[in-house]
Amino acid sequence: MSPRENSSGLSVRRRPSLSLRPRSKTAAHSATLPKDNAHGQWQDTSLAEVSDEYNALTVDDTELFPEAVPRRRAAKSFSSLRHPMDGLVALGRRLSVSVRNKSSKQSLRVPELEDDSECSCESGYFHHAVAHGSNHKRNAGPGSWAPRSRAWSNGISINRRPSLNSVSALQSFYAPTSSAPVPIPGHGLAPPILPNDKFAGSAARAAAAAQNEAARLESAKTERDLQKSDTRVKKDSESGIGIDLRDHSGRSFVTCVRIDPVSYLPAEISALVLSYLDPASLMDSESVSKAWHRQASSPHVWKHVFCGAYPRRPASSTATMKKLSVGLGKSIPNQDWKKMFLVRRSLEQRWRQGKAAAIYLHGHTDSVYCAQFDENKIITGSRDRTIRVWDAHYPWSCQKIIGSSTGDVTIDGPVNNPAQQATGKSPFATICPPSTPSAGIVAPMEHPSFYHSASILCLKFDEEIMVTGSSDFSCIVWGIKNGYQPIHRLIGHSAGVLDVCFDDRYIVSCSKDTSICVWDRKTGALLKQLSGHDGPVNAVQLRGDLVVSASGDGVAKLWNVITGHCVKEFISKDRGLACVEFSDDGRTILTGGNDKIIYQFDANTGELVHEIRAHSSLIRSLHLDSMNKRIVSGSYDMSVKVFDADTGELSIDLPGWTTSWMLNVQSDYRRILATSQDSRAVIMDFGYGLDGIELLEE
Amino acid sequence: MSAPITLTSSDGVEITVERAVAERSILIKNMLEDLGDSGEAIPIPNARLPRVLTTWQVNEAVLKKVIEWCEHHKNDPPTAGDDDDNRRKTTDIDEWDQKFMQVDQEMLFEIILAANYLDIKALLDVGCKTVANMIKGKSPEEIRKTFNIQNDFTPEEEDQIRRENEWAEE
Repeated sequence: MSPRENSSGLSVRRRPSLSLRPRSKTAAHSATLPKDNAHGQWQDTSLAEVSDEYNALTVDDTELFPEAVPRRRAAKSFSSLRHPMDGLVALGRRLSVSVRNKSSKQSLRVPELEDDSECSCESGYFHHAVAHGSNHKRNAGPGSWAPRSRAWSNGISINRRPSLNSVSALQSFYAPTSSAPVPIPGHGLAPPILPNDKFAGSAARAAAAAQNEAARLESAKTERDLQKSDTRVKKDSESGIGIDLRDHSGRSFVTCVRIDPVSYLPAEISALVLSYLDPASLMDSESVSKAWHRQASSPHVWKHVFCGAYPRRPASSTATMKKLSVGLGKSIPNQDWKKMFLVRRSLEQRWRQGKAAAIYLHGHTDSVYCAQFDENKIITGSRDRTIRVWDAHYPWSCQKIIGSSTGDVTIDGPVNNPAQQATGKSPFATICPPSTPSAGIVAPMEHPSFYHSASILCLKFDEEIMVTGSSDFSCIVWGIKNGYQPIHRLIGHSAGVLDVCFDDRYIVSCSKDTSICVWDRKTGALLKQLSGHDGPVNAVQLRGDLVVSASGDGVAKLWNVITGHCVKEFISKDRGLACVEFSDDGRTILTGGNDKIIYQFDANTGELVHEIRAHSSLIRSLHLDSMNKRIVSGSYDMSVKVFDADTGELSIDLPGWTTSWMLNVQSDYRRILATSQDSRAVIMDFGYGLDGIELLEE
Repeated sequence: MSAPITLTSSDGVEITVERAVAERSILIKNMLEDLGDSGEAIPIPNARLPRVLTTWQVNEAVLKKVIEWCEHHKNDPPTAGDDDDNRRKTTDIDEWDQKFMQVDQEMLFEIILAANYLDIKALLDVGCKTVANMIKGKSPEEIRKTFNIQNDFTPEEEDQIRRENEWAEE
């Protein structure tokens, strides 16, 4: 049962199809839809199931939960913290060896340089460095190293890389390593860079590393030597190099010239540097110094860092118009990008912890089969034949009822199942806004024939239209902007319309009649009818020219919507499929159904990538949030579960948040909306009460 | 093949390079277009850098280093231009550039300033990414050590900043 075992499923992919087919026939019926369940019966069956499955769930949870969440993060930050320093030191060490081998020429040259820093070597390795050094001297005036150095370092001359002069002056100090390379000429102002020599910098580091080692080896001797060398340094300080050797011997040090980039570089370049950081590093940078704080907390820098940490995906051409908010805020002037990052970080922490509030939407009088939401509204469709539009914000009131109202409901009885909730994550707050009186929000029934005359089984909307499918065999296309007025009725199916999806060209619907219909979005004309499934088609998704469908016959099919041909099949191991999800990039297909397993397929190769076993009953609904890498599933085991889309590991278990089967789930950056057979929809809001959460709205 | 270009560093050293190499610098490219093919040496004038030094110059050592980079990248396809987000997406630096940037801090910053001044965006990015990589993953104290920076915060101020950046809850 553990999701970890999923990988083993790769090779076991397909059991003989012999066993699969015959069973699928029966599964087709059981998996078809709760619509077939008499209203009175579900409670008994589901409750019976619960008590059976309760134990299995508990095992899962205790095993998986505590470790699934925090572990990863700690490890990550640790390694990123340690790596750069160690890597540099190691590099220096490694390089020092290679340099040592060819250093005889250099060490021969050094005294010569020291004697006459104005000399111009004729040619070869050192030429440029010397010329460079002397040029600097010319620019700055003889003996003027010190003032310039101090300008950068505020008079702190410790920990500088020893200059050539001082090093040669300290020959006795470094005697044991005299065969090691004396650093290539490089004062504070004359970096040891040899034009045309790519390894110049590493040579300097190597030299520095060699010196470090030498210094450490000699640390026993240093006490005595120090005094001598100290005076010699002072003598030498005519050249402006001040090196405090006590620091050298005392602790590990960076021997390179060290310059504060924020004060050395102009503000706009410092900002560019900082904008390449990750948020954590940028926050650390804010604490370095006042100058760094000014630079690092600028909104400009934070904007880039925020956008770098949460890259916006370019709108995929194959994506349908789901219009799901990704929670990256608005790109407006004076936007507080840092605050946005902090809010986003807290929000993600809540997802890791499974910490969400439950907000219950009361109003429907029967199973809520379908729902979709965006930042502002939630639309639900129910077995009570109405469609309700809700405010997605406080106070979550119902704003409109489309269809003939079935009367007001009062909240009675529990909204959740506390015993079940105890086995997973329970809400940290439970909010039951009062049901809005239906008077005044019911759409006027001018043409009752325009409305659905049976259960609303499915619905989808975008900015312009909403399409609903019903047990009355038809779909209705509604205008969003004209206040949900019906535009077309799509008639063609010979049984209930179980799912629907659309893009800017097509509306695709699937039905219990085993067919899939492709309609023209603009005219509502029936363009094609795809047949091939042997059972009711429970779910469809459309990406570009591809339609994926999941059927009670246990097979998911991939169709080319233009040609109408089935191009690929994805077979579940056992029994009927209830739901399917097609990733925005069209590369991943998820299916779920009666065998309680979530199958993740590679849409291109048809390969089974993961088998996620976590539910203890039929999986009724799946949602994939590619950006946040979350798979959300809703099941007849009354739980909603969240999985890591990369690994397939269970990350949040939300059992018993309603009192019956989960029928539809959808999630965005901050919440999951789940609808239940108990006539309610529940918002699992991970952003509830977070200070500044509204900044993330788009 | 157009004639080679002679560049003069601030310290009077003349360096002759292929035109394609010199034109990695948008500044030089524009200058060449303005001047026409006069064959004259192009002086690289002073750029003011008010915050630290009164004048800043592309001296010979830095110029040679910059030219080395331009030589290596002369055949690079033109970048997506000002597509800021694309440029910033990654701090990955290709291997050759990484080696090229293994210089001491002063040279690194001088290269960045030169790239900025000469308007060589790709080199400016590589330089800035290199510095960013020196900062990444370090504690404030480690950053101070890396760049020899004085902590000029009072303990109270430090505390204040730490609180601001703390988790909003938990």
